[in-house]
Amino acid sequence: MTHLSDDELVLHYYGEDGPEIVTAERHLKACTQCARAYEALARTLNAVIPPEFVEAFDDLPALRQLLREHSRDGSSSLPVGKSLIRARAGVTVLVWLAPLLYPVSLKALFSSAQWAQSQVVGVPFVALALMWACVGPLLAICALNHLSFGRGAQASTRVLVVGAVMAAISPSLFLFVSRANDGLSVNLGMTLWYGVITLAALLSLFRRPGVSESTASTRAERFLYVHRLSALVLAVFVLAHVINQALAFISVSSYTAMRNVMRMASEQPASYLLLVGAVAIQIATGAGMGMKHVRAGAVARNVQAVAGWCLAAFMLAHVLTPLLYSQTSGTTAGSIDQFDLLASPRSTEQLPFLLLGVASFLLHVGVYARLAALAYLAEASVRRLSYAGMVVGTTVVVTIGLSLCGIHLVR
Amino acid sequence: MNDGDVEVFLSLVERHRRYLYNLALRLTGNEQDAKDVVQDSLLNAYLGLEQFEGRADLRTWLNRILVNSALNHLRSLRRRHDVNAPQPIADVVDTVASSYPDPERLVASADWRRHVSAAMNTMSPLERVTFALRHFDGCSINEIAQTVGISNTAAKQHIFRAVRKMRVALEPHWSGR
Repeated sequence: MTHLSDDELVLHYYGEDGPEIVTAERHLKACTQCARAYEALARTLNAVIPPEFVEAFDDLPALRQLLREHSRDGSSSLPVGKSLIRARAGVTVLVWLAPLLYPVSLKALFSSAQWAQSQVVGVPFVALALMWACVGPLLAICALNHLSFGRGAQASTRVLVVGAVMAAISPSLFLFVSRANDGLSVNLGMTLWYGVITLAALLSLFRRPGVSESTASTRAERFLYVHRLSALVLAVFVLAHVINQALAFISVSSYTAMRNVMRMASEQPASYLLLVGAVAIQIATGAGMGMKHVRAGAVARNVQAVAGWCLAAFMLAHVLTPLLYSQTSGTTAGSIDQFDLLASPRSTEQLPFLLLGVASFLLHVGVYARLAALAYLAEASVRRLSYAGMVVGTTVVVTIGLSLCGIHLVR
Repeated sequence: MNDGDVEVFLSLVERHRRYLYNLALRLTGNEQDAKDVVQDSLLNAYLGLEQFEGRADLRTWLNRILVNSALNHLRSLRRRHDVNAPQPIADVVDTVASSYPDPERLVASADWRRHVSAAMNTMSPLERVTFALRHFDGCSINEIAQTVGISNTAAKQHIFRAVRKMRVALEPHWSGR
């Protein structure tokens, strides 16, 4: 006979044991040991009674005063409603500025790198330009974090959300568009990039067909399982790449040796198919789950969503760009055959793309691990582990960034 | 919003204020904190009224804001004063280990409420909020997970840990009866 555990007894006490409720009750009738344990639990929990229902404080005057003060503080000339609209408009402009100015940030990055080669004073400007190039996802998180929305929301909200997506995926999308432009018979230059942005802006004006909350929730639950399963396959592959890329900071020869082994493994038709399949499933299921958990104030969920968008765009560019390269020459997106990525304007495009790819992978997995760990560890332990994870993640990204800029301990 | 809108908002929330205050009291365990949490959550609700799109009823929406305000309040208390930092279980057991003539009178006594309150202070903010919502408010684990923004498994685990702490603190008192 299998006895009921303490946790099962707690679930039974609260009637939360689902279909097992009858089995548990039958077991309690038959097993004296479990019945005694249940009785002890119930006796204690029955004795934990809530505080008596009391009348609320009469603090209406104070509350009224507080709300009025906030109405006035929000704007001396503007009421709160208008200031919220203004804030939303400001955030919308910012998220759309990120993709619009992204090519300029790349130029700034390349120019500052050239300057830094002749004068050390240029180095901080390289860092600043790199931060500018990578700011899109951060703006996207801020936008989602301060504004909530519903399915089938208003046009202004859709413009904001699509803007946030565009800001988050700018580095990957720009690289892909730039390589696609190389394959065209006519060089469209920046026109193609701004055309893509215009198209995205126009698409955001159209309303998506509405999906009911319950359908969306069931769909998300089903997708989640497939999403996690395919993520396991990809995580092994991506983690090996991330470790190897970080290893490049220590020694280029070690990196090259390990890369050759991984390349050999991933170029086998079966493993290539598995990887491409896993990427397709990740993107499709990720898109299917959509924005279920995104809402104002849910920082961790919003970070995970934005990291997911970045990662999807990164993987898509990674998988699709080699196809474009069957017609053109040069390094493929994400395949690093040279390390000094700041050497030419063309290779500079890869630096924010790769760094955000690595950062979004670590963040996406890290946030998932954090939320999952809450089920097994105490909150304080999870917080401490999160801090440790952030330190390790930042170190990995900085190390990879240094190696991609041609800085190695051993050549 | 203008002063007139403040009045409209107050009349909307007035019928829920008693419920919100009592919920805050169960989550935080003392009147002053409950008052602060209600005020804080009503201010947040007022400022975020545009985000209320009628997908849930007003009480559910206010409930979610209040639970998250309470969580933030408990966490900030812990950071500032370490008031709710988990006490060593042994200390709580010591305070509970006085004897009373019979269990019914014991449960009704002010001392017992103090012991329960001390036991709840051994819990982390998430344990305390999930336990209070499940035990005092009768919310299902699924509702708690959605309100607090964690998975069902995480909500269950927090409740299990809270119950374990409660039992460790209170059960020595029952033994021998």
